[in-house]
Amino acid sequence: MSEVRAVRNLRICSKDCLCLYVCPTGATDTETGQIDFSKCIGCGACSKACPSGAISMVPYQYPKQQTKDDLVIAKLNKLIQSKVEQEQMAEYIYKNSNDSIEKQLAKAIIRANRLMTEDLYREAGFMLPQSKNTKDFLKNLLQQTKDETLKKDIEKLIDLLDFNE
Amino acid sequence: MKKYICPICGYVYDEEKEGIKFDDLPDDWKCPLCGAPKNLFKAEAIEVVVSEEDDEEELREMNYGEISALCSSLARGCEKQYLEEESKLFTKLANYYKSKSEIKESSSFEELVSKINNDLETNYQKARSVASEKEDRGALRVITWGEKVTMILKSLLEQYKNDKDFIKNTKVYVCDICGFIYVGDEKPEICPVCKVPSFKLLEVERGA
Repeated sequence: MSEVRAVRNLRICSKDCLCLYVCPTGATDTETGQIDFSKCIGCGACSKACPSGAISMVPYQYPKQQTKDDLVIAKLNKLIQSKVEQEQMAEYIYKNSNDSIEKQLAKAIIRANRLMTEDLYREAGFMLPQSKNTKDFLKNLLQQTKDETLKKDIEKLIDLLDFNE
Repeated sequence: MKKYICPICGYVYDEEKEGIKFDDLPDDWKCPLCGAPKNLFKAEAIEVVVSEEDDEEELREMNYGEISALCSSLARGCEKQYLEEESKLFTKLANYYKSKSEIKESSSFEELVSKINNDLETNYQKARSVASEKEDRGALRVITWGEKVTMILKSLLEQYKNDKDFIKNTKVYVCDICGFIYVGDEKPEICPVCKVPSFKLLEVERGA
């Protein structure tokens, strides 16, 4: 199996369709606009031919998560804790307000805090879904939950993700 | 003559060039580039270094709100890699844990502002000094963006306190990359914090 596969950024794609002509397996021609990964052999012909730069070649196996210093993680976790609390406070305000402007502002604050938390997690050791950190996190979650449907979803994720460590 | 700098987008107001003292500008003057209010501007000055005390964080279990945010972050990661099924599953987990995460018993914008102040005065400073020391530029990046977004949150809540209708006749957008909130009729061409093109600034609709 090839080490890379092609992916298409639909927002950039200018529909010049050269990828359709150069693909030796027909993987680029699909009803969803995304490349058929089961057919892609990773030759890169589509990516080279694409005039809009919409097709990138990405690896199946991603590099390992960068090592993060424990103290840096601790400080970022402190911020994460604070942002999560702020999201919950804004959520309370949103749910208990009858004023449409106050609700709108609360909604924007909920979203902003969630985005900041997500970003902080990326720098606190969870950049890559395929990392050992993610795997340990999911396994831990699996042990803790008693919800059967949730268990199945977590197991499926562990199965689907191509962990690199 | 001094220079005043926008902490959000870096725009420099040079008193010498403009011919008007910064203090003489009207209170409702805004950054011409990103719309940040006048009171956020800082005079060009030497950075103050915050001394670092020892306060090791104890290890603790993640709470539901944190689990939810980590899952939604990983969902975005999968989406970026075009892993549709994985992304959907992480989103499902994120929603499940969000529904389980407790909402604070009563809360107000005032309490929110005090948390924001604590982030700006303490948490970001400490995180920045450790990240600089360890030369973690990725961490410095998230700290820089987050601190700017947090400053904007504070300023919006202050404006709301003074005038509950300040967003009534305009629009509210949130940058889907860094969380920057923009209040105004027309979006800036790029996000002033993370510089992503404007199509990633999403409008927050006002409900009924």
